[in-house]
Amino acid sequence: MTAEAHLVSSAFHLEGRLELTAGQVSSPGRRSTNEDCMGLRIPDEPTRTMKGVAAVIADGVSSAAAGREASEICVQSFLSDYYSTPETWSVKHAAGVVLTALNRWLYSCSSGVDEAHRGHVSTFSAVVFKSQTAHVLHVGDSRVYRLRDGVLEQLTRDHATQISETECYLSRAMGMDVSLEVDYRPVDVRPRDVFFLTTDGVHDWLLHEQMQEILENGLTARAPFDAICRTLMHRASEAGSDDNLTCQVLRIDDLAPPEAEDLRRDLGRLPLPPPLEPGMRIDGYRVEREIHASSRSQVYLVTDLDTGRRLAMKTPSVYFEDDPAYLERFVMEPWIGGRVDHPCVVQIADADRPKTFLYYLMDYVEGQTLASWRAERDHVPVREAIDLVAQVADGLQAFVRREMLHQDVKPANIMVDGDGRVRIVDFGSCWVAGIREIAAPIERDIALGTAQYAAPEARLGDTAGTRSEMFSLAAVAYELLTGTPPFGDAIESVRTTRDFETLEYRPASERDPLIPTWLDRALQKALAPRPEDRYREFPAFVHDLRHPNPQLGRLWRQSDAERDEVRRWQGIAGGLLAGLVAALVALALG
Amino acid sequence: MSTGSKIDVLNLRDESVRTLHFAWIAFFLTFVVWFNHAPLLAYIRDSFEITDPQIKALLILNVALTIPARIVVGIFVDRFGPRAVYTGLLVAAGLLTLAFALADSFPQLALARLALGFVGAGFVIGIRLVGEWFPARQVGLAEGIYGGWGNFGSAAAALSLPTVALLFGGENGWRWAAASTGVAALLFAGLFYRSVRNTPKGSTYFKPRKTGGLEVTSRRDFYFYVAMNVPMYLALAVLAWKLSPTGVGLLPLWATQGIYAGLVALFVFHVSQIYRVNADMLRDGVPKIYRYPFKQVAILDVAYFATFGSELAVVSVLPLYFLDTFAGLDPVTAGVFASGFACMNLVARPAGGWLSDRLGRKRTLTVLILGLIVGYVTLGQVTADWPIILAVAATMSCSLFVQAGEGAVFAVVPLVRRRMTGQIAGMTGAYGNVGAVVYLTVLSFVGYSTFFLVIAASAFVVLAAVQFLDEPEGHTVEVREDGTVELIEVA
Repeated sequence: MTAEAHLVSSAFHLEGRLELTAGQVSSPGRRSTNEDCMGLRIPDEPTRTMKGVAAVIADGVSSAAAGREASEICVQSFLSDYYSTPETWSVKHAAGVVLTALNRWLYSCSSGVDEAHRGHVSTFSAVVFKSQTAHVLHVGDSRVYRLRDGVLEQLTRDHATQISETECYLSRAMGMDVSLEVDYRPVDVRPRDVFFLTTDGVHDWLLHEQMQEILENGLTARAPFDAICRTLMHRASEAGSDDNLTCQVLRIDDLAPPEAEDLRRDLGRLPLPPPLEPGMRIDGYRVEREIHASSRSQVYLVTDLDTGRRLAMKTPSVYFEDDPAYLERFVMEPWIGGRVDHPCVVQIADADRPKTFLYYLMDYVEGQTLASWRAERDHVPVREAIDLVAQVADGLQAFVRREMLHQDVKPANIMVDGDGRVRIVDFGSCWVAGIREIAAPIERDIALGTAQYAAPEARLGDTAGTRSEMFSLAAVAYELLTGTPPFGDAIESVRTTRDFETLEYRPASERDPLIPTWLDRALQKALAPRPEDRYREFPAFVHDLRHPNPQLGRLWRQSDAERDEVRRWQGIAGGLLAGLVAALVALALG
Repeated sequence: MSTGSKIDVLNLRDESVRTLHFAWIAFFLTFVVWFNHAPLLAYIRDSFEITDPQIKALLILNVALTIPARIVVGIFVDRFGPRAVYTGLLVAAGLLTLAFALADSFPQLALARLALGFVGAGFVIGIRLVGEWFPARQVGLAEGIYGGWGNFGSAAAALSLPTVALLFGGENGWRWAAASTGVAALLFAGLFYRSVRNTPKGSTYFKPRKTGGLEVTSRRDFYFYVAMNVPMYLALAVLAWKLSPTGVGLLPLWATQGIYAGLVALFVFHVSQIYRVNADMLRDGVPKIYRYPFKQVAILDVAYFATFGSELAVVSVLPLYFLDTFAGLDPVTAGVFASGFACMNLVARPAGGWLSDRLGRKRTLTVLILGLIVGYVTLGQVTADWPIILAVAATMSCSLFVQAGEGAVFAVVPLVRRRMTGQIAGMTGAYGNVGAVVYLTVLSFVGYSTFFLVIAASAFVVLAAVQFLDEPEGHTVEVREDGTVELIEVA
């Protein structure tokens, strides 16, 4: 992430408390080598809030030649790679990406020609504690337990197949197959919960009740957690365990989202700037003019008096000074912008300079919004429009890669400069998976987008996704081509999914004969009322905008045929009605 | 590009300015319609041969339904948006006025006036509309223009309608005059619907949060808030009683009792709504820093009760008052004299806000309410022996304080809790209406002099209440000579 270098905005206001006590011990037991491995990472803030605390345990499969190496790779790579994923990613997504890569690598090692490195297979169980949730990730037969209110619950299910009384084979493990299925289970966390991770050398040899007893006795005696682990392992050995023994015990000591009071203090730490006039100076920036003002925010053109650089300064509307949900969104804007590093997304330009007011700075884009750019033109060549759309799609793709959604894609939020280069602006509606996971003591605002461009599911407050962005992008494409949004004003008054389905798509080619009809098929697919009918990926859409896709042609004709059928039945029904009325009139007169 | 808190009202190419004009004209027309009966009462009295108590009942009926209507209109605006609701209200205003103009019995007149009470609830629609269209630095001014120019509607009605009635002439002149305001409302409704958009093109929407009641921040304030809602229902109950066989006998006993029962049910529902919004607070409490004293809202409510409430009451009766008090006046002149009261809106209301910004909130309100008391006491002394010009001067100087007081109240409203400005403004406005109902009910028992003195006496209570107002704190910003913006803490 090159953006980190000049990034100073942080999500300090989200930092809650997460304190744990942990102990972990691993021993070869009666064997000569220890093929188990374990790891624990309790990072400092802000990483503890953004990424969480991770405990990992792995059991290299002893039948595999390189079991020890495999378990070590699993633990170490997971810990280092997970913490290198973007802060915007959710735990599930981040862990999924890391584990998939890890599995591929282990599998390629296993299938290598080098006999010595055959068999990189290992079990893998991990718990990531983030905010109020423990994310349990699991493959194989190591286990994760939770002890709460005197109940010890096994949170994982062993991926093992019992062949006979004595023989048991792993049905799933890291490095076993080219594809990997990881069990993912988020569970809630409360203070005083105890999490307990073991390998089969321990849990295969002790009864559930025995383990619970040992844990509870150790906790009541306030024994060091390492000592509790040792007792467990000792008892397993006594019971006859001939395998490696590993266990980890973690207790949640304190867990709290930021206090509402703290949150408010943090968000309200900086006062809101007053309406600014040209010539005013704030923190060494001189205001040149107002670029834009709405009921929610203002954007000014400013000059950095130190460097002479021209920047855009966004300030919050004073009408939201006591609205924590609004302020949180505003504080997150530069945080979000700083995490998307892409030429088609405007860059945050906050300098390392103390602020006396709440605002943030962006690169000033010399140009205009796509809305006014389009308004100046009667007609835009198809190729030019598609080139712009492709750039926007690229920029949106950068958001998706960070597991974010822009959620307010519209011509007014896209700047275009003199060279036809596009910048996506305004992160005020963004959805960020990694932030959503962090509890906040306020009712967060839910962005519904802009009527003309928001997908039905986004407008109605349902779960939005990449395909909702697809809808907005296609609406922008349609408007660039024709000068009007695809569904006209009618879309503003719809309130239900059904209303959306009755909206009639007017082909762009009807509005402008220079637009090829096959382009409409791509647009119509991307503008489908139901998200599952739209394109899944931006590149596929852009490709279909550039090349006729014969596959779509069939869909198009089919829906034409359907419409004809409806018309036919309407005709028949109308005829019947007319006949009925005539008969009644005849009766009445007769 | 213009900056600063100025609005170029002549720049009709600017869509937000156009919207502002549509909004205030819509509000203006609802006010014309709402008070179109006041200057015509003399004619109406003659053509129906109705009694004085009946006239006064008409006046109360006219403002009664506005109290619950505000709540209903607020919900409608949430659901359908300002454009549709304002259009609907204007159409309703037009049709109801036509019904009023065609009435041929007292019950029909009464029913029309009662229904027209709904039209008085237009204010909130425009506030919402203007709030969507103007950025923070202009919205205060824009809403001031909207409210001030719109409120002028009652003065315009008083000024013009008697003349219009005279132009049409004959026994039915007043009918034509009233109907013309209805036709104007209907025509404008169409224009409004065609030309106004709910939000600027391409505004981003966010999911609306909790609505249905004001959020309070302590258990004590919760009970206080519930208690503050009781007077609104009492005002309506008093009205029902007024119309019952014990009063003017417009309603049969069973209907009156039905209304009582309905009011109780509505109150229970309202309290349940208030509880729903505040349930989390009552369970978990609210951190200190979020708390605000509901007392502030209550004080603003009673201050608006005395200011706006008395204005609505006085505007309704003033033309008739002049006619009845001074012999030899014709309705046209009486209307012109009476319009002096509402005319002051154009300057007095903004001036009140301006004073409040400069002299401090509590001090300004105290001074203005003192002035209001003196003004109403003076009006209470007016007799037929006074030179009429002096009486007009008295009403105008009294209204100066009344309307400046309204401006001063609304200058404090956004400072209580900015996030809840809309809800607090809604409740304050409703209290203004309660004031009108109460004062007009008083008038139905007593003569004009006592009526003015009662207003003055109630204002004394308000004056005492205002002394408990906490001066809102905040930051102010200073701009140094080189343009550097600096923050100054205000204690």
